[in-house]
Amino acid sequence: MDVTRRVTMRVLLLPGLAVLLFAFLYPVALTLAAPPDGDPATVARETGTLLSDPHLLPVIARSIRVAVMTTLICLLLGFPTAYLVSRAPARWSGKLLALAIFPLMLNTVVRTYGWIAVLGGNGVLSTASQALGLGRVQLLYTETAIVLGLVQLFLPLMILSSYSSLSQQDPRLEDAARGLGAGPGRVFRQVVFPLALPGALVGCTLVFAGSITAFTTPQLLGGSRERILSTLLYSRVNVSLDWPSASAVALVMTVLVLAVAALSGRLSKRGSTTS
Amino acid sequence: MILRRPLLSLLSAIAFTVMLGPVVILLGVAFTAGSTLTFPPEGLSLRWFAAAVEYRPFIDTLGTSLVVAVASTLAALVLGVPATLALQRGAVPGRAVVENLFMTPIIVPELVLGLALFQQFMVGLHITALGTLIIGHTVLLLPYAVRVVGASLALADPKLEEAARGLGAGPVRTFFTVTLPVMRPGIISATILAFITSLNNVPLSLLLTGPGVATLPVEMLNYVQSSFDPVVAAVSVILLALSVGVALLTERLVGFNKVFGR
Repeated sequence: MDVTRRVTMRVLLLPGLAVLLFAFLYPVALTLAAPPDGDPATVARETGTLLSDPHLLPVIARSIRVAVMTTLICLLLGFPTAYLVSRAPARWSGKLLALAIFPLMLNTVVRTYGWIAVLGGNGVLSTASQALGLGRVQLLYTETAIVLGLVQLFLPLMILSSYSSLSQQDPRLEDAARGLGAGPGRVFRQVVFPLALPGALVGCTLVFAGSITAFTTPQLLGGSRERILSTLLYSRVNVSLDWPSASAVALVMTVLVLAVAALSGRLSKRGSTTS
Repeated sequence: MILRRPLLSLLSAIAFTVMLGPVVILLGVAFTAGSTLTFPPEGLSLRWFAAAVEYRPFIDTLGTSLVVAVASTLAALVLGVPATLALQRGAVPGRAVVENLFMTPIIVPELVLGLALFQQFMVGLHITALGTLIIGHTVLLLPYAVRVVGASLALADPKLEEAARGLGAGPVRTFFTVTLPVMRPGIISATILAFITSLNNVPLSLLLTGPGVATLPVEMLNYVQSSFDPVVAAVSVILLALSVGVALLTERLVGFNKVFGR
């Protein structure tokens, strides 16, 4: 490659890098470490408070619990769906995939708002349970409601990530395993799933990171009763206007997400070298 | 398939119910004649659609949302396509590090980026809410432009470009006759994905509001938190109809399994 071409290529990178630096890394770093009315020491003290305050620790625990539950349920429901879609006849798979992707085109308020009509005190679920003589059910503003809302939100991501791995698998591998005497359950567990693990892992990372950082759904379905980190951050900024302590929450949230992303990066690297 | 795989079919039926059920219920609620969010609806009427169209803030914020989505999608493509071209074809030193750097806006919580831009740009540098919204959305969409366009470049054989140059085409001609056509499906997918992502965003836009300036989803969220009437359900149905239009167009133009299959 000649020198002018090499220089041109590097110049092409510069505008993007400049914007990343000026409009992303610089403001985020400043806000995490030294927000207005605060310095690194204040943020560190606030972070210490956050990690030791008995009123706030449950918020962190709830955030992690909600994210883990959401990820597991998405895997349990999304992976089989991706498998069926990838193995369906071509004229069906496109339509099923479109149906799975289509919710991604709606904003989270639209997707979440329906749950209020399902889970509220006069909602569909409560009406059904009263008809069965089981009394009123109020799931709105509970942790279960948050998990349900997040599962709905992130299932398409899990389905897409798993689908991209599954659609590249050679279906003859399954035929071979069946030909060698494995039942359908065993083929699924020992052939299909392990081979599609990279895609499923990407899906899990996206869902976990998305759940930790999601705002709209926990705000609408958990309210101020069941706070998680993101809704706590918002109330720190908008209600108490306490910037150093908002930075502390932001810091914990960011570290959690980066840790999970790094872990999943390591896992997928190990997976690709051993297989 | 369903008979051969009862357990998997059941799990996938639950998945589709959870994904689509609440949306279908919202559809029903929008047509209610009553004034609460109950399902099945109490009688049929279009009154909430009339109310939605007459509610000024929704129309104003839809305008803002569209301006922000168009501007930030264009900006992300203008910044991202050259960058991804350099990463895929330029033998850039430390390529993996730079590539990861371009992906970081996806990982860092949007609410944190929103807070940062609010503090440093709106309060610190006195940039308007609209300007900050466009800058923030551009940063958010940049990874999509880089990754999706990069994927279509990575799939194409670089020898095509070498061949074009070997046959005497200059760099400009090679770009327009070989590289650009190779990137086109990626650019179309990235544009659709970026536009929808911007239009739907809440957490990043949430704090970047000013007097009379907010995006439609943020306005909807604020409305929903203060009132349970079905106006937002009607707005949702309108957005849903638009999305179905876009989805059908996408399927016609490129095909979903081609956009997401790899």
